[in-house]
Amino acid sequence: MSQVWIAIIAVIAAPLIGGFLAGIDRRVTARLQGRYGPPIVQPFYDFFKLLGKSRIATSKTQFMWIISYLVFIITCLVFLVLKQDLLLLVFLLGFAGISFVLAGFSTKSPYSHFGANRELLQILSYEPILLLFALGVYTQLESFMISDIMASSEPLLASLWPIFIALVVVLTIKMRKSPFDIATSHGGHQELVKGIMTEISGPYYAMVILAEWYELVLLLGLVALFWANPLWIGILIALAVFILELFIDNINARMTGGWMVKFSWAIGLVLCVLNIFYWWIIKGVL
Amino acid sequence: MDIQGWMLAVAILLPLIAGILVFLIRNYQARGFIVVLTAVALIVNSIYFLKLGLPTNFTPENQMWGTIITVLDYAILLFYIYAGLSLKNWLVLLFALTQIIPLAWWEFSAGASQKLTEITPAFMIDQLSVVMVLIISIIGSLICIYAIRYMKDHEDHKKLEVSRQSRFLFWLVMFLGAMNGLVLANNLLWLYFFWEVTTLCCFQLIAHDLTKEAINNGARALWMNSIGGTAMVAAMIFIYFNSNQTVEYLTLQSIIESGGTVAFLLLPVALMCFTGMIKAAQMPFQNWLLGAMVAPTPVSALLHSSTMVKAGVYLVLRLAPAFNPVLGVAVAICGAFTFFAASVLAIAQTTGKRVLAYSTIANLGLIVACAGIGTDLAMAAAILLIIFHAISKGLLFMCAGTIEHQIWSREIEDMEGLAEKAPLTTFITVIGMLSMFLPPFGMLLGKWVALEASYVVPLAAVLFVLASAVTMVFWAKWLGRLLQVTPKIGRKIESLSLSYSVPLWSLVAGIFAFGIGVAPVFDKFVKGAVGCVATGNVQNVVALDKMVEGWNIVLPKAAVLTDGSLAVVGSYPVWPLFIVFAVAIILPLLFITLKPQELRPVYMCGEQAGDADTDEWYCAADVKTKLQLGGHYYKGAVGEEAVNTWVYVIAIALLVIMFGVVGVSL
Repeated sequence: MSQVWIAIIAVIAAPLIGGFLAGIDRRVTARLQGRYGPPIVQPFYDFFKLLGKSRIATSKTQFMWIISYLVFIITCLVFLVLKQDLLLLVFLLGFAGISFVLAGFSTKSPYSHFGANRELLQILSYEPILLLFALGVYTQLESFMISDIMASSEPLLASLWPIFIALVVVLTIKMRKSPFDIATSHGGHQELVKGIMTEISGPYYAMVILAEWYELVLLLGLVALFWANPLWIGILIALAVFILELFIDNINARMTGGWMVKFSWAIGLVLCVLNIFYWWIIKGVL
Repeated sequence: MDIQGWMLAVAILLPLIAGILVFLIRNYQARGFIVVLTAVALIVNSIYFLKLGLPTNFTPENQMWGTIITVLDYAILLFYIYAGLSLKNWLVLLFALTQIIPLAWWEFSAGASQKLTEITPAFMIDQLSVVMVLIISIIGSLICIYAIRYMKDHEDHKKLEVSRQSRFLFWLVMFLGAMNGLVLANNLLWLYFFWEVTTLCCFQLIAHDLTKEAINNGARALWMNSIGGTAMVAAMIFIYFNSNQTVEYLTLQSIIESGGTVAFLLLPVALMCFTGMIKAAQMPFQNWLLGAMVAPTPVSALLHSSTMVKAGVYLVLRLAPAFNPVLGVAVAICGAFTFFAASVLAIAQTTGKRVLAYSTIANLGLIVACAGIGTDLAMAAAILLIIFHAISKGLLFMCAGTIEHQIWSREIEDMEGLAEKAPLTTFITVIGMLSMFLPPFGMLLGKWVALEASYVVPLAAVLFVLASAVTMVFWAKWLGRLLQVTPKIGRKIESLSLSYSVPLWSLVAGIFAFGIGVAPVFDKFVKGAVGCVATGNVQNVVALDKMVEGWNIVLPKAAVLTDGSLAVVGSYPVWPLFIVFAVAIILPLLFITLKPQELRPVYMCGEQAGDADTDEWYCAADVKTKLQLGGHYYKGAVGEEAVNTWVYVIAIALLVIMFGVVGVSL
């Protein structure tokens, strides 16, 4: 039964951590831009305010896909904390992303479609890197199980550091940070309006924010797997990467979708493939 | 005649007899009745195959059957020559001649005809064949039922003077018999005969509408598959002369049992594998299957799900135990490349059926690649994919046909907002599409197993990864076009004719039943079938085992045998994922209801021409304009014109390499 408790604790704790990190994000970003910034708990205030707003709708299926996005992200997190199959987790994460895209497509809104198409390009950019990450783990442990990663004494970072770098790129895309904030913008006054988020409002917008918090914790958790023994080093690495993302965000401008796909395939994918092929040659599979 | 004989007769001859009957009867109701009756008989018969003690053999006692098949062989080839001459298609003619001349020389001039009658056993019934028979008989029959009404609507829409439905149903129903024969045949000559019959049926069905395009595409399917036929004839003759003019190795069984140890068999095995890859529309031969979509939709549904292309992957899979490791790797890379390239090309397609066709080609590539990888885990993936792909693709093509009969178009752009016009059809289509790539469903399970098994062929593994990511994108793009709606409450649900809805709902039920019950399906069908094609020439041998012990019923585990001990490499909790699916998608769909006061128009920078009830806006000079949205197809980057040259160059190079490695290891 302890597994059930682990899952429950993770599901409750993750959004708290995620919201807290989002608060830090806003604070650090403000400081980098010479502003004072909101209090750390501001994201929680925003979240509850959105939750209390009355629901308005442009389509029913949009609601369905937003719930699906949230539920699949939570499932991924449960997979992580229960140390399940990494490859399957990546597939689930991919579908969570697709659910969100479909939420964007479910309404006849030009801005929403605009954002959804770009979100698809984002999936195209990061999904193969995540799958290759799982394959890279297999070259080291001959297993896709996260439980085997946790049990191994060698940190993955030593052998898979190129994949680690690629994962930082993925994190930038997933956190919708510049230069990859192409599917939505943080201010509603740009040519994108609010991209894929344009038609999402009130409690359902709160759900999307909640899903993003879960997603952040999940991805940082995947980063932490690179130093799973002892885990606290991994967590420190994940937090360092998080802070690094904030700096990347603030020193870059948004690029185009096509550029993003080229960049992540040319840099991220090539790093992963070289890394994996290196180990294949060393281990004599090739 | 014992029981196997009767069952084989039902599986192979009944469709032929029924086909002749529907051809003669010109009454819509009576014809439909016969088709339904045949379908029921075939389904019941196929289920009874499970009761046979497998594996078992059968050879008809009467020599007459061999003679009939030989005569029909030449009849078919002569028809190809006639078709080539009358259509002035020299490729058809050429590849008919390359079959008939060597065949005639071998059988008559080289004096093999007497020996060739001694090949036994003629039929081999094992678990792999039975899985194929079940797929063909059940899904194929459902498609035939679907065709009854579809062809009536099709002709009503075309306003034909003389109905050609009888002719169509004749070829369609007979196709099932030929396919059953193909997957049960053991004698290579008989296999070749059934192979040719499927090619013939395919040609007749693609060319059915007799438009210029239909005839051209039919002819293309014919000559491409005739190249495969030629390769098969060459393989048979090569085997015969290299085994001292005996018929020892002219059966599938003996080739498989040689296990890649008889050196001279490698080239014929590669040739037959090549034949299979053409039929499975592997690149560079993908064009015949793409062209096949001009035919009425039941044809596409049949070709893509349960027949024709599945014959191709069946043959590759069947021969896998006779590969040597190098040939296996070459086949795996060819298949993996097709998986990747076809998935990429699917992104740029604007026609629904073309997306489906590319997706089929991609998945067949994956199956071929699994056969090439050759571990038990990969074989399990291949067989799971064959089963689940047949169900999902059969459903999707029937959906495409139903949509076509509602909007009279195949273009994805015309399906924009279909959820408003035909909510029920859209719902079923969405289920079909999700079942192609969403985690709890069988296709993704197969893909997951394939990826877990792909480690031994690194290049294939990387291609699998890229293709899986691309697959999600093209499905999501299409789904997005269907789902787009304007704010409204209470849509009218359209009614579907029984001949449409029964097959559609049966397959939807099949997707869920097989998806949820994947553990028993694996245990009952897949495990045995894997045993039929086990290669045993690789170190990690254990597949998805321990599935039905206690909790493992929900947790299929992929495992490999290393140093004599079983190590779990991954797990896939099927039932929990179905619960997640229900919570994420089914429950919201059932329980979210909108109130009229919640509806709002979308954000249009304040330029809407009304409230939520309109999708018009004020364009330049304040002209009211209907809002139009379009999909992205990235034709410049991944369109056929942009990448086809590379695809052909690489695909042909890979085939050359495949035969090159066979030549080197001879």
